Amino acid sequence: MLDLAQNTLDGLALGASYSLLALGFTLIFGVLRRMNLSYGPAVLFGCYCATWTHLNFQAGLIALAVVTIAATVLAGAYVERLCFAPHRRGSAVAAMVASFALWMQIEEVAMLAMPRHIYPFPQLFEGAPLQFAGLSLPGDALVMLAATAAVCVLLHRLLYRSRFGLAVRAAIDNPLAASLAGIDLARTFVLVFALASAIGGLAGYLIVASHGQVTPMLGMWSTLKGLLAMMLGGLGSLPGAVLGGLALGLIEAHSQWFFGPQARDLVAYLLLFALLAARPAWMTRWTTIRSAS
Amino acid sequence: MAALLSIQDLVTAYGKIEALKGVSLEVAEGSITCLLGPNGAGKTTLLFTTAGVLKPRSGTIRFAGKDIAGHPPHRIVRTGIALVPENRLVFPQMTVIENLRAGAYQRSGAGEIEADIDRLMQRFPRLRERAAQDAGTLSGGEQQMLAVARALMSRPKLLLMDEPSLGLAPLVVEEIFRIISDLHRDGTTILLVEQNAYMALQVAQHFYLIEQGKVTFSGDPGSLEQDEVIRRAYLGTARR
Repeated sequence: MLDLAQNTLDGLALGASYSLLALGFTLIFGVLRRMNLSYGPAVLFGCYCATWTHLNFQAGLIALAVVTIAATVLAGAYVERLCFAPHRRGSAVAAMVASFALWMQIEEVAMLAMPRHIYPFPQLFEGAPLQFAGLSLPGDALVMLAATAAVCVLLHRLLYRSRFGLAVRAAIDNPLAASLAGIDLARTFVLVFALASAIGGLAGYLIVASHGQVTPMLGMWSTLKGLLAMMLGGLGSLPGAVLGGLALGLIEAHSQWFFGPQARDLVAYLLLFALLAARPAWMTRWTTIRSAS
Repeated sequence: MAALLSIQDLVTAYGKIEALKGVSLEVAEGSITCLLGPNGAGKTTLLFTTAGVLKPRSGTIRFAGKDIAGHPPHRIVRTGIALVPENRLVFPQMTVIENLRAGAYQRSGAGEIEADIDRLMQRFPRLRERAAQDAGTLSGGEQQMLAVARALMSRPKLLLMDEPSLGLAPLVVEEIFRIISDLHRDGTTILLVEQNAYMALQVAQHFYLIEQGKVTFSGDPGSLEQDEVIRRAYLGTARR
């Protein structure tokens, strides 16, 4: 029973990192209706920039977080200009394929600049995990949970209580009507991209800071986990992305306990497969509600 | 009266196909000017080009003395033109109030915006009843009122209306035309595209007939009544 509770706690902490990644990924998909495969590589670029800063300047934790987020936003802006701005009215597939090309480009540049590929990254907490009621929770997991909760609250406030949020939701609901209402779509999309990249950068920072190292796999891993969580959450809904991320973390934690580490990803993919086979409409539930009305 | 909107030799194309082949027309300040013509004649294209959604290939669009041809939509809204699009296009997942706030996106001054929302709710009591409801749950007629109200939130000098009566029940159509007359009385200049020529000619002071991307006839509603040819060709489709 205690194991079950401990696994659930571990799964939630893991899931919180997926939720954070998925929020950035889903924000772009939900607003632009475009899939940004370069999302993860931009996060990788941000984390490598922070690693470089750490190696050369011995920067503190907060400075590294700022560098990661800023560099991820920069890489995101590059992707937006090259892949998404030119195809805003055009083909969604063209934008996705272009973002795949930039994935390769960003990853190659990052790996050429950082030839050892795997680098240590300063950890958020070195001490012993927190203990309560027989359960243990590492400090970085606690920070991850708190950061994800904080981003959810702030994002909700931003979307529902600000002028910018009004523009974003109008653009989601009906882009043509939004531009007729006087909303500058191009500007709104750029800002959404920057916001999504900043969330991705924060997620990437917290992930590498809790692992204590950064590897070139982070790029593909981030896009993959963000996409999986978004699919579990029903493609395009922000609350769905958060729940999807948490569900993915729980599935992974429990399947690792019951079936061993090799089965961990497999079980997650099998469950997603079962969901899509049994409920194909799950994937389009948000997109069709919008186009029907 | 002076022309608030003056369009000269406007050409707009989708790829190689010219939807407007050199259209010229004027909308007098304070008037309701009506644009008639069969489906596919280019009426919506003309409104979209004026509102900046489509870029013209050539020609000029002068509004209050300034050439606005090719400007992006958000700048054109700021200069004082608002389009009520065909099929209403409200924001379905936003509340009625949020739809109205979105219409005031280019304006500043929260107090004045809220006061305008209040005034429009007096004008459209049905919207007040549904203020906190998602716009997607409104009936067709209510959505049309919301679309008009949203456009008015930008305080336009010129209102472009694309088929406001489309798909609405006869009683609702009458209500929409009553609103159009009210707006006219309050001094709003209106360029109205309407399939329902019978109703449109009752409120308009001037009309243009567009066919295959060209203006083929223009005049005052009285003159049309006498012209049997045009009556047979174009009022035949009017839903009485």
